[in-house]
Amino acid sequence: MSGDEVPLDEKARRMRDLLSSFYGPDPSMSPNPPSKFAPLDAINSNSFNADHYLNLLIHKSSLEGLLQRHVGMAAEIKNLDTDLQMLVYENYNKFISATDAIKRMNSNIMGMESNMEQLLEKIKTVQSRSDGVNTSLFEKREHIEKLHLTRNLLRKVQGKLFSDSESIQARAEAAMLLKQLDFPVDSLKEKLFEKLEQSLGDLQLKDEDISRCLLMSNDPSKLENHPESVAATVHEASVQEFVEAVRAYRVIFPDSDKQLIKLAQELVTKNFETGEQYGKKRIRAADLLAVLRMIWKEVLLMDEVLHESVLSEFSLEAVQITVKHHVASRFSHLLHDISDALTKVYVGQKEGMEEFPLQVALGASKKAVLQGSMDILLDFRQLLDDDLELLVKLRESILNWVQEGFQDFFRELHGRFLLLSGRNNSSGQVHGVVEGTQGDRILASLVLVLAQLSVFIEQTAIQRITEEIAASFAGGGIRLYENGPAFVPGEICRSFRSAGEKLLHHYINLRNQRISVLLRKRFTTPNWVKHKEPREVHMFVDLLLQELEAIKKEVKQVLPQGLLRRHQRNDSNGSTNSSRSNPLREGKLSRTNTQKARSQLLETHLAKLFKQKVEIFTKVECTQESVITTIVKFSLKSLQEFVRHQTFNRSGFQQIQLDIQYLRTPLKEAAEDEAAIDFLLDEVSVAAAERCLDPIPLEQPILDKLIQAKLTKSLSQSAVSS
Amino acid sequence: MQGGSSGIGYGLKYQARCISDVKADTDHTSFLTGTLSLKEENEVHLLRLSSGGTELICEGLFSHPNEIWDLSSCPFDQRIFSTVFSTGESYGAAIWQIPELYGQLNSPQLERIAALDAHVGKINCVLWWSSGRHDKLVSIDEENIFLWSLDCSNKNAQVQSKQSSGMLHYLSGGAWDPHDVNAVAATCESSVQFWDLRSMGKTNSIEHAHVRNVDYDTKKKHLLVTAADESGIHLWDLRMLKAPIQELPGHTHWTWAVCCNPEYDGFILSAGTDSTVNLWLVSTSNHDELPSESLVESPNQRANSLLNSYSDYEDSVYGLAWSSREPWIFASLSYDGRVRNHMLEK
Repeated sequence: MSGDEVPLDEKARRMRDLLSSFYGPDPSMSPNPPSKFAPLDAINSNSFNADHYLNLLIHKSSLEGLLQRHVGMAAEIKNLDTDLQMLVYENYNKFISATDAIKRMNSNIMGMESNMEQLLEKIKTVQSRSDGVNTSLFEKREHIEKLHLTRNLLRKVQGKLFSDSESIQARAEAAMLLKQLDFPVDSLKEKLFEKLEQSLGDLQLKDEDISRCLLMSNDPSKLENHPESVAATVHEASVQEFVEAVRAYRVIFPDSDKQLIKLAQELVTKNFETGEQYGKKRIRAADLLAVLRMIWKEVLLMDEVLHESVLSEFSLEAVQITVKHHVASRFSHLLHDISDALTKVYVGQKEGMEEFPLQVALGASKKAVLQGSMDILLDFRQLLDDDLELLVKLRESILNWVQEGFQDFFRELHGRFLLLSGRNNSSGQVHGVVEGTQGDRILASLVLVLAQLSVFIEQTAIQRITEEIAASFAGGGIRLYENGPAFVPGEICRSFRSAGEKLLHHYINLRNQRISVLLRKRFTTPNWVKHKEPREVHMFVDLLLQELEAIKKEVKQVLPQGLLRRHQRNDSNGSTNSSRSNPLREGKLSRTNTQKARSQLLETHLAKLFKQKVEIFTKVECTQESVITTIVKFSLKSLQEFVRHQTFNRSGFQQIQLDIQYLRTPLKEAAEDEAAIDFLLDEVSVAAAERCLDPIPLEQPILDKLIQAKLTKSLSQSAVSS
Repeated sequence: MQGGSSGIGYGLKYQARCISDVKADTDHTSFLTGTLSLKEENEVHLLRLSSGGTELICEGLFSHPNEIWDLSSCPFDQRIFSTVFSTGESYGAAIWQIPELYGQLNSPQLERIAALDAHVGKINCVLWWSSGRHDKLVSIDEENIFLWSLDCSNKNAQVQSKQSSGMLHYLSGGAWDPHDVNAVAATCESSVQFWDLRSMGKTNSIEHAHVRNVDYDTKKKHLLVTAADESGIHLWDLRMLKAPIQELPGHTHWTWAVCCNPEYDGFILSAGTDSTVNLWLVSTSNHDELPSESLVESPNQRANSLLNSYSDYEDSVYGLAWSSREPWIFASLSYDGRVRNHMLEK
């Protein structure tokens, strides 16, 4: 220890040292045993050697120092003593207070034990009580837990019930579940029903369904596997679902039958409506059958569930309507087809592509009528032969409808024919014959085709259809025959016969109109009273023959040939002059030459009396010859009328004579009724003579020469043109 | 349908085209007819139906200078009539009076009251206004319409006005509207023209080709009947000229003349070059309400509208006239000069 420590706090250090020495002096802690040269301040160490210290001190220090030392030491000793005294005192105090505390502790601990025991007892009672409570509450708690579980379950169920994503069936089941749980479901009833209604929308047959179904059924390979089931699976599944739902619903709400029935009926109605719409389209009966079958299947399914709903009867009615409409629509389609085929006459002629447009059109329309009718019958037969329960019940009605349908169809067709010819007629006249020549010609040929088509219908089609109907559609029920059968072929035949005649007449009329125009021009243009001497056959003859040629061409395409009588005539009449009529004519004319005109009229009358009366306006038959003959006759009659309206000078008369003479051969060649043609040609000559101021005919040689000239000219012309 | 040959006959000497009812003769049922012969002396015959209705009696026979193409009796004076005649080269028209004492004379001459001599071309017809006394006459030639004022007592006829039918319209005949003294229908090649006589202008027209003859219905206003060569008979409402209200098939060959009954509604006579006269019954009563019906009329109805077809003729029938005194009787004239009187069976 150096002297540096002293200034620190000598007093505190000393106190510490003291205390430590008091409570347990630790030799290790004591400084090293002092050497001989122990410092003076090592007085506090254990190895302090007072003698040594003293010697050292005496040796080293002066007296004064010694004295000082002494004084210091004495002061230190004094301080130490007081410190010691203080320490003792303090420790004593502490001891006393500790003793006191121990005394108090002793007295306190005495009462503690009994208290503890009391406490223990109390705790024990508490525990037993709590056990009691526990056991008594256990059952109830379990019950509560169960209830809670149920509640959650219900929540879930309810959620399912109102979610659209769930199937109806699932929902119905949920509802059933709810019901089983005595859940108050009445409020749900309405909602559930609404949902059912909504689901109807999905269930309805859509066009796509149908077409899909048809696609399948049309595909023969699939057809073999599963007739329609494949096709209808999608739809059927949903129906199945609906049925299940209804069933469930019914179980849950037993009093809701009425509503459900209504619902089911609605569905069926809508489906049949779809079917009906579909039936109106241009489809085959087989397709309709497939659709009906599909609908019927679901009806049956529903019927199983809702027995009281009389769905089958209900759907019977619906099917009735559907089939009826289908039949009607088939007929209207057929009508349309025929019209189309006919209007091709127009198109074909305008384009002028085909060589025999009329023939083609006639063929097409014939085919349309016959084939179309046969197809329809075949189809309807399919309807009849089908074993679908619905249709079996409807058999009689179908028979009836088909018969009625044909009756109406032909009636309508008849009207259509007349309309086609009549409408156009009036419009053609508005245009005027002069400008509408092209349209007129086409109209005429259309009328001709119509006429022949009518004959065809009357003679062939009706018969075939009647046979077919008799074969497979007979026995339309006793009920029907009370009012007579619906299909009366006789009536239709009659009406078409008259239509055919009418149309043929119309055709002849149209053609004659054109010829009349030609003749009118010929006779109104020149001044006949100042006519010049005839130099050649007038060109109107060519036009007339051309017109006839065109008619012949048309007629040949369309009308059948009549009985051949032409050869005989050709044999007997090789020459240009008719052997029968010529003497009469010559005689008449020669006598007019002699100016015995007063007797002329009388003579004509007498001649008429003696001559077998020639029927000019005989009944037109539907043959090429008859039609052409009629047209020739008519044009000659017109010619006569035009002649009668004029007054001629000699040259005019001679011109007429020449023209008539020239016409004689080709007209007789064209027409069948040679006698009538001769007669009419004579009539024209007579009329011209009557209307002539100076009727001197041409000399026969001049006549022959002019005719010959004309013949060679037309021959060379035709050679050039061909 | 085949005509009963119950008709009463009368034969003219020559061919003939025209016959007219003598409307002014209220005591007898009479007809006037004239012959058509280029070279012979032509005659006008006054025929009277005997009181029993069994015979046609020739009441008067008068020579007429030329062949007669048109003849019509004056509606208010039974002794006056008009003719259109031709010499073969030229045409003329005149008003004639039957001499008063013709019964006593052997071959009485007709007295010419007036010559309608303003025409140049071919004259078609002379028209009287049929509904009463009227001092005007209309004559139509191929290119013009003339309105004459006629003074019978002074034996004088003056052209009051004249109008050309226009280029390329050749007139062929006409009729005077009995309901309107100022309206005349004239036929030409491609149409029927309606003329107003006050302004002498065309008021309207029906575009319908080759109308041969035209007649107004005396009972029904606005109803006009036309006959065309091939296309038969058409009934028109004058207020709607776009389309006919009804069509009748007409004759096998041309339909030449058409004639409405002066008394009974819907009875129409037509004569044709197929040597027949047809009697039609059409229902015109509901045309005002349903004018469009006729277009879709069923063929049965049309066939039914032909009441009778008189076929006891040997030649084309050009002349046709109802009797206005006994409107169930009509006279017809075929080209061979035979007059036939028929009575409708009721």
